[in-house]
Amino acid sequence: MQNALPSDVFRAVSDPTRRQMLELLGVGERTADELAQPFDMSQPAVSQHLRVLRDAGLVNVRKEGRHRVYSLDPQPLREVFDWAQYFEGFWRKKLSALGRELDRTR
Amino acid sequence: MERALRFDVTYPHPPARVWRVITTREHLASWLMPNDFEAKVGHRFQFRSKPVGGWDGIVNCEVLELVPERKMVLTWTSNVIDTKLTFLLEPEGTGSRLTLLHTGFKGMKGVMTSFILGMGWKGMVNTGIPNLITRLEQEGRL
Repeated sequence: MQNALPSDVFRAVSDPTRRQMLELLGVGERTADELAQPFDMSQPAVSQHLRVLRDAGLVNVRKEGRHRVYSLDPQPLREVFDWAQYFEGFWRKKLSALGRELDRTR
Repeated sequence: MERALRFDVTYPHPPARVWRVITTREHLASWLMPNDFEAKVGHRFQFRSKPVGGWDGIVNCEVLELVPERKMVLTWTSNVIDTKLTFLLEPEGTGSRLTLLHTGFKGMKGVMTSFILGMGWKGMVNTGIPNLITRLEQEGRL
């Protein structure tokens, strides 16, 4: 999850159900049942949404007795919003490409 | 939040050659992105690439400053950012030192929030994401 691409995060937040789940988790931890409650949806469908959120690194999960408890991890959102960080990697690659272009040029 | 990026790179090539590679359309296309650049102050042009994440792949630029073999300043504006790019060039030994400054990153969170709102994702406005972002910012978690 540390390497989730911004595009994964964009995909994760592009769905209204998942956005509502994130909103709930923004208030505090929730079990899978509590997260499913506001939605008229099968348990597998809820699990699928939670998996997308986990794959994007937006939620963490831990076991508590028989329950799985979900919590919000805002770090990937931060990365999406931090475009300076995105450009750090962008320019490093481009400046290497500039070096290769120079080597090819007379 | 205002951030700037700075890169210092040395190349084993004289400034004249580096200058040519950063101020020629064909060379820029090869190492940076396809473009319609002209080495003329006031010239407006675009770099075009594949869309990534929330970026539509287009950068709008204007040449603000050109000092041959020393300095070039461009605006660097897209659907997600409004920034400035400065290339500084100086001889170093038999080669060159290139300093690249990417400046003007500020209020990115606000920009991105309005950008996401503007994307027309159904229901985005009415759901909690903008509120969530605001609250996380207030709590210092974002």
